[in-house]
Amino acid sequence: MIRVEDIQKHFGALHVLRGITFDVQKAEAIVIIGPSGSGKSTLLRCINLLVEPDSGKVFIDGVHVNRHGIRHEWVRQQVGMVFQSFNLFTHLTAIENVTLGLTRVKGIPHDQAIEKARKLLARVGLAAKENAYPAELSGGQQQRVAIARALAMDPKAMLFDEPTSALDPEYIREVLDVMTVLAREGMTMIVVTHEMGFASNVASRILFMDAGKIIEEGTAEDIFQNPKEDRTRSFVSKILR
Amino acid sequence: MEIAAALPLRTPPKLVTRLTVVHLVEMILAGSFMIFVVLPAIFRFSLVSASFWEIYRRFYVTGLFGTFFYVAMTLPLSVVLGFLMGWARVSRVRIFSWPSSLYVNLFRGLPPLILVIFASLFGTNLVPQPILDRFLSGFRRGDIAVGLAAIAIAMHSSAYQAEIFRAGFQSVPKGQQEAAQALGLRPWQGMRHVILPQTFRLSLPPLGNEFAVLIKDTSILAAISGTELVAKSRDLLGILPASGFPIVWIFAVWTVVALTYFVLTYSVTRGLRILERKFHTPGLEAISL
Amino acid sequence: MANWRKFLRDRWRYFDAALALAVIIGSLVYIYELLVGSRGLDVAYITRNYPLYLHAVFTNVYATTIAFVVGMALGFSVGWLRTARSLSVAKFAASMRVEKRERQEAPSGSEVTRRLLVVLSLLWYGTKYVVRRVGDGFVEIIRGTPLYVQILFASSFFIVFLPQYASEGILIGIIALAINTGGYQAEIFRAGLQTVHSGQIEAARAIGFSRLKAMRYVILPQALRLIIPPLTNEYIGLFKASTFLFVLGVQTEISYIAQHEGFAGDVFEIFAIVTAIFLAITVTLSFVVQALERRFRIPGLGIEQVRLPRGVRTARVVG
Repeated sequence: MIRVEDIQKHFGALHVLRGITFDVQKAEAIVIIGPSGSGKSTLLRCINLLVEPDSGKVFIDGVHVNRHGIRHEWVRQQVGMVFQSFNLFTHLTAIENVTLGLTRVKGIPHDQAIEKARKLLARVGLAAKENAYPAELSGGQQQRVAIARALAMDPKAMLFDEPTSALDPEYIREVLDVMTVLAREGMTMIVVTHEMGFASNVASRILFMDAGKIIEEGTAEDIFQNPKEDRTRSFVSKILR
Repeated sequence: MEIAAALPLRTPPKLVTRLTVVHLVEMILAGSFMIFVVLPAIFRFSLVSASFWEIYRRFYVTGLFGTFFYVAMTLPLSVVLGFLMGWARVSRVRIFSWPSSLYVNLFRGLPPLILVIFASLFGTNLVPQPILDRFLSGFRRGDIAVGLAAIAIAMHSSAYQAEIFRAGFQSVPKGQQEAAQALGLRPWQGMRHVILPQTFRLSLPPLGNEFAVLIKDTSILAAISGTELVAKSRDLLGILPASGFPIVWIFAVWTVVALTYFVLTYSVTRGLRILERKFHTPGLEAISL
Repeated sequence: MANWRKFLRDRWRYFDAALALAVIIGSLVYIYELLVGSRGLDVAYITRNYPLYLHAVFTNVYATTIAFVVGMALGFSVGWLRTARSLSVAKFAASMRVEKRERQEAPSGSEVTRRLLVVLSLLWYGTKYVVRRVGDGFVEIIRGTPLYVQILFASSFFIVFLPQYASEGILIGIIALAINTGGYQAEIFRAGLQTVHSGQIEAARAIGFSRLKAMRYVILPQALRLIIPPLTNEYIGLFKASTFLFVLGVQTEISYIAQHEGFAGDVFEIFAIVTAIFLAITVTLSFVVQALERRFRIPGLGIEQVRLPRGVRTARVVG
């Protein structure tokens, strides 16, 4: 479904991604863990081309996307993204946030857009809050609206960039629940997170990244219980206390 | 937005608060007290004397319309220029950010009076000859000079508005553009539907202030004999003694002028505050200049 | 093919800067051409006349400083008056009701003294309210009317009541400027005093300070740090406004421009001198402002959104 081959990225002198290669099958949910600065966020952004890799190939559904001639907007409709800081449009209500992409990118007439948006908001449990502005919602509610907004585009896969890292502890559960349901329904997803519980329950595979490289890859059992590499072992021991 | 019309409305924010009304009433009371009681008693002139207005009316109306004309001419120009300059200032492309930075610092550093005098005296030299011949040949040189001076005032105000818009752009939360891109919105769509609506909402409060300043600045045109309120009132003063009014009536003229400007600026600032409240969205922080 | 595109993208920052410089220099050269053209730069004019211009600027500085100081006294008093606190009508009515209830429970004291006290307190709060609103009104009028009109007002005052001084342009100008800056400074002082006012005076009194001592050791030091940046910005604004002295017949740099009107020769040189002078002064003063701001800044203390006459930089509310 999604395949990346030997992605390299520099930011100035900093070599952030040093040759990343992996693939994600359809309906798979993979989790990427690793220390901060290891390039996880940059990797996600290379997939939906918010950041352009210096070299390497990105394939989405068999199509080589990071080359000349492919419109970035098309790529981003195939792959949705949820951000750490939610990034809801502050001047629009919850339902307007969800319908913006439907009407302006997909060109759906607005009655249909509203209907669809309502269904999505209900799916994430926020039907009652459709007219609220982001500032009137809790962090967990905002993130769920952000997920609904991304789902509205009917993406083939979803990218989550540390979706719960900016949340107060009492709201983390509700967001993870939504994501778990999404995974069980068969959404292809790549999640960068520190939530090991979620990783163990939901992920079919876990990737451990450090300093721009994938150090180890395996199931939750493999990584958490029998890590092969030293770096993996030390990171996991710090995380799982 | 059409979408908003289809949805049930939230309780709209109160547009006119009690405080606004109280202040308005106080003002009218104090003003009337001054006009009808204090001024006639102490200074021995009255603002409501019919004979006074007989001779003043002509000058006043011409002058007032002149001021309106200049405001109508300079306000939109200054907003457009200010917005473009402000946008350019926040650009990463230095072709835009450096020249606009120079423009802003230049026009803020020079006082408007100097700009007006320069424009009126030497502005015609700066306009390319072909334009002068084709579009402006019908106008007297004096009128062109005043017009150019008005443009200079607009440019002066636009420099301050550029700073306001710049701060507006910079106050839009950073992830907004990324989120718009991630949805598949094209850059101009992101600008139109995400960035710019927020920029305008954030810029509105200081902008109202700046509009009031612009209205006041049009009075500078009187220094070069533009047709506006102050100039015309000055003309009246020339014939005032001859019409049999004691010299104290000079104050009557200037009080009327001051009152007019006050009403204009007050309505603009309060009016914009009402507009602010109408478009207010919770969560958009007030701008920091 | 792809190579030169990549080359362009890598070196973009340098091209960008170079093009920006080109645009700026290009437009400056274009203006130079328009105004000077084949005539050639009249350096002699500059060297001959710059003492005149410097003298004119000195007049401006002199007038600005005097007006600023006088305005500061005015602004401080008005600003302080505007912080006078009075009860809202609702609170007063509520306290009346409390009083009435107490009186019914424990009737004591004479009726007359009680009525007298009510009237006196009404008068006291009423006066405070009126004083505050008059101060507000003064500031609103100053800020709502153009400086030009204020100058004409002052000039008229002299013509009518003190005709012997009516030709003293500088005197009239300084008075008009002082009142103008007084209005704007009143707003600055009010904001500064109010930001510190709440709670601090009570805390100081609780420690044992008298009202005066509290003012001197607690309120003023904090208030000073808050108001110095906006005040210095106001000084710059006043300096620019002092060009209006020209309309009163005072010899400022503008008079030289106006006098040379017909002689369209040395336009660019005059333009250059005047621009250079003003930019030099405003830029220097801005640096001074920034340095002062840095020196007097207390982390966590900042002035609120003061409605300044010009959109110049202020410190933002912090904490």
